[in-house]
Amino acid sequence: METGEENTRKEETVKLISAEGFEFVIDKKAAMVSQTIRNMLTSPGGFAETQHGQVTFPEISTPILEKICQYFYWSLEYSSGKETEFHIEPEITLELMMAANYLHT
Amino acid sequence: MYIRVKRNKTTYFVQCDPTDTTLDIKQKLQALIDLPSNNQRLTLVATDVVLVDSMTLAEQRVENDAVVALTLRKDDNEFEEIYIARPEDFMSFS
Repeated sequence: METGEENTRKEETVKLISAEGFEFVIDKKAAMVSQTIRNMLTSPGGFAETQHGQVTFPEISTPILEKICQYFYWSLEYSSGKETEFHIEPEITLELMMAANYLHT
Repeated sequence: MYIRVKRNKTTYFVQCDPTDTTLDIKQKLQALIDLPSNNQRLTLVATDVVLVDSMTLAEQRVENDAVVALTLRKDDNEFEEIYIARPEDFMSFS
């Protein structure tokens, strides 16, 4: 079965797992917006994450991790010239900033 | 644009265009979940409308960042009920 899209192959995606065990499957190029994840995925041999294409974040809650994934995709579109705003609910700002700091995002 | 396809505790971020059909999305999902498109059903969560294979996302008002529920065909040939887990039910209070 051909899909004709290079970004739909399983190897082109990465699975991020939140503190509560929720899974977010996103394109690798979106995940690479985070310098921390980029290092994990590209460092030679170092991380088990590199082989399995999956990264667990026991410190990051599900709503925050989802927001971060939304940010990755927003960032891809923004860097390609589409200027839209990224909305952040005030009540999650602190937690989100702490996660973003950890992820170098 | 992208949509968020959700089932149980998993969310698939799928990059797509407003001109993509529902079938296009199912074929992208097929690569991720190893199940053919005719065993997948997609429902726009905001309106609870089942998406039609031949129609485009734009025609069905599926916009950027939309949440779409994925359900799969069960052994008895029927589709399962929509189930998207909520993080609140899994919070640890340690």
